[in-house]
Amino acid sequence: MKKAETSFSELLQSFPPEEGSIIPLLQNAQARLGYIPEEAVEVIADYLKLTESQIFGVASFYSQFRFTEPGRHSISVCLGTACHVNGGATLLETTERELNVKPGECTADKRFDLNRVACLGCCALAPVVKIDGEIHSKVNVINLKEMWNHYD
Amino acid sequence: MNLTINNRTIQIEKAVTVLEAAEKNDIYIPKMCAHPELTPYGGCRLCIVEIDGRRGYPTACTTMAEEGMTVRTDTKILREMRENLLQLILSEHPSACLLCEDIDGCKEFQSTIRKVGITTGCRWCPKDRDCELQKIVESFNIHQLTLPGLYRDLPIEKYDPFFDRDYNLCIYCGRCVRICSEYRKSSVLALKQRGKQTTIGPAFTDNHTDAGCEYCGACVSVCPTGAMSEKSRKWWGVPESYVQSVCPLCSLNCEIQVLTAKNKIVGTLPPGLPHESAGDLCVKGRFCLSELVNRTERILEPIYLFPEGNGIVVWDQAIDKAELILSNIQTERTAVFLSPDLSTEEYEAVRLFSEKVLKTSEITSSCFDSNLIAFSRMAMKSASIETVKDAGVILSFFLNGNYNYGPLTLAIKTASDNGVPYYQTGWIKDTTSRFARHRFVPVPGEEVSILDEILKCLKDGKTNKPEILELSDYLIKAGKGIIVAGPEMMSLSNCQLLLEKIETLAIITKSQIFMPLPYGNLKGMLSVIQLKPFEDVLNKVEKGKFDLLYFIGDAPFSSRPEVKYILYQNSFPAPEGLNPDLVLPAALWGETGGTWAGSNGHSQPVVAAALPHNYALSHQEILIKLAEKMQNKEFVTDAKNLISGSLKAKKPMLPALKEVQKITVPSKPDPDFPYVLVEEISPHRYHNLNLSKGISGFGELVRTDQLMMNPSDARKLKIKDGDSVEVVNKKIIKTLPVTIRKNITEGFIHLNTSNGMRGFDCNPCYVDIRRVHV
Repeated sequence: MKKAETSFSELLQSFPPEEGSIIPLLQNAQARLGYIPEEAVEVIADYLKLTESQIFGVASFYSQFRFTEPGRHSISVCLGTACHVNGGATLLETTERELNVKPGECTADKRFDLNRVACLGCCALAPVVKIDGEIHSKVNVINLKEMWNHYD
Repeated sequence: MNLTINNRTIQIEKAVTVLEAAEKNDIYIPKMCAHPELTPYGGCRLCIVEIDGRRGYPTACTTMAEEGMTVRTDTKILREMRENLLQLILSEHPSACLLCEDIDGCKEFQSTIRKVGITTGCRWCPKDRDCELQKIVESFNIHQLTLPGLYRDLPIEKYDPFFDRDYNLCIYCGRCVRICSEYRKSSVLALKQRGKQTTIGPAFTDNHTDAGCEYCGACVSVCPTGAMSEKSRKWWGVPESYVQSVCPLCSLNCEIQVLTAKNKIVGTLPPGLPHESAGDLCVKGRFCLSELVNRTERILEPIYLFPEGNGIVVWDQAIDKAELILSNIQTERTAVFLSPDLSTEEYEAVRLFSEKVLKTSEITSSCFDSNLIAFSRMAMKSASIETVKDAGVILSFFLNGNYNYGPLTLAIKTASDNGVPYYQTGWIKDTTSRFARHRFVPVPGEEVSILDEILKCLKDGKTNKPEILELSDYLIKAGKGIIVAGPEMMSLSNCQLLLEKIETLAIITKSQIFMPLPYGNLKGMLSVIQLKPFEDVLNKVEKGKFDLLYFIGDAPFSSRPEVKYILYQNSFPAPEGLNPDLVLPAALWGETGGTWAGSNGHSQPVVAAALPHNYALSHQEILIKLAEKMQNKEFVTDAKNLISGSLKAKKPMLPALKEVQKITVPSKPDPDFPYVLVEEISPHRYHNLNLSKGISGFGELVRTDQLMMNPSDARKLKIKDGDSVEVVNKKIIKTLPVTIRKNITEGFIHLNTSNGMRGFDCNPCYVDIRRVHV
């Protein structure tokens, strides 16, 4: 709470206290903290004189905002048409089971967070998995597990 | 303006939507999301119409009527499209009952075995026969679903008090979300996520209470389906009658309608159409009344204390016993204790009975202490709700209005939303806090200092606080100032000093005062009876000046005082240790007619909505029975002439204010006692029943005998919700459980005391919180 507040007070002041500031404030909060914690919603609601429900209603509408803490590394499994046909779903399932994590959440040791994406734009390399911005192509269940070892 | 709807030329005066124009002229257009209190939404699309010259099929609720418009509301293509829309809605709404082939027989004979669970609908929907979707589907001749059904399998939310939510039945018309923000200005509910994942509720997984819900029930009223349902009214079906009445639970005496079924009071609603009126009620008027009347712990029959113990007696026997007691009592040897929520006629009957039969002038009420006398002095001159809506500037003191005074907090929020500057003073964040330009948090023990600063600033225009300068400016220039003083103030040690300063401020700035009281008919009681201060009567009880204590609705003793006889006439049982000689069951509000003195100055007569419970009789009837037995014909004729509305309004009679003993509240924090304890003697009562104790749902909202603290303080102290802690000041140690609430200011701890006595020597006081080591 305190941490969020101090890092926030300056940021808040740079936007006028009106409804139009909701999205830029949320974006800034996410840029700083990596996600939108409950405290951030509380502080923004207080500043804009809105309720937390109103802020959360807006934030949860957009898929760009996340409400859970990201892990140190971020895994995105592609489930676009080409990847899906080439076994993307199996990769996602394996990741979920082996790392004990659900899409949109992060592992207990905060090592990985898992996301599913619709297409990463490199269908020729399907199936692909993106870890921290790095695209891994033609992934199978075996090299999937190996590639995790490079990240801790 | 003229327009044609279905070949009928109709005339409208002002700018209205096509839907409103049609409805005003009795032309039916099906609708689900449109609501008269709300701005057009166009969500359900059932109100589509054809308009000449317009492309496609515009929705009638979002299209403004225009001169010369030609509208058709009921064509073959519109019917087909509406049927398709309904099919889409039904594909996500459990609809077994709507489409069941046995539907006709079931309505009449309940021929179908009721084995279908809540998941698929059938007769188990709490809104069965009272559901707007059901009515529309029935008017459409739909007998089969053309789309595959989807059951969303959302968990049914039952953990909050007063209403349950089953969003599997929700059709996403958004009425609840909109009524919560547009009309009630609470914005507790929001549409979360989007598309198929959409849910309704507060942020994250907050419960409604933490999100600031006032439990006003507006969302439940306007819900067109069974998604939201009142817990206590769930299986009563459609009410049989709607009786106009007033709420007896605070001085605002809101108009309500009482819902009855099978001669029982099953619920209460604000006035207006049951599904359309959002209303201004608070949780007490909306949900608590029917629970009070239907409490299982009510006195069912007269009870006499025989030498062998308590025994049930019939009325005649009870009256004989009462006569025996009363004929033994001499003049001025009886004390009468009244509760402040009876009807004015009942008070008049008690006054006559005391004068002519009991021959005593010692009448009092346990609420009638010196702080209340001081408070009432000003509260009797309280402004009306309309003046609050119309104010130039509003300043509130210790309002704490989340579960109280609905019309007042709503008026403040609405006024503030319309640009009226609002300033709040107090320690608890309530539903109005979000609307305040500034929230003053007074220094404990120096609560008057804010008033002093304002008064000083008004005098010489100087202050070092910009918000005080701004407020003083508004108070002088804006005019029509309203000062709201909440009854939480009555528990403060500095209450009378605060009241004096508030009065001075009101006089200087020509502002009006609005002071709500938590008692239903204090004004009526004071206008009829010359009440003695409670402390005086209590002293006399201790000195043995009475032979008989007659409790009518009131019961301020937890154990039997030294007295010959106790008569107890009430609806709720006596405190365990009181041991009255005779208990007489009385009818409650709603079971008798009577007049209530509304806060706006005019009295409001009401009629009975249901028969008295079991063998209960109204207070008047009991007194008449007693007088008849004692052959006091004078009283009997007078009392029988007391019919609802026969009393002329009189000025309330208040005793002179006594100089009170000053209690000094330390204003400097002591490093050993870093927290501020604010104690409030719980004002939520009806007769001798504390609402928090008597109604479990209300007890969850207003926790009595629990320490309420801010989450960050709890984190610091490593305390979890429900833990027991020791609260310590220099003299007193108490062990109490903790409730964590977001609306408590950091560093403050709130305690609602239920037994009517302050537990600590001064209020507020500095305390320390210690964890109890197990």
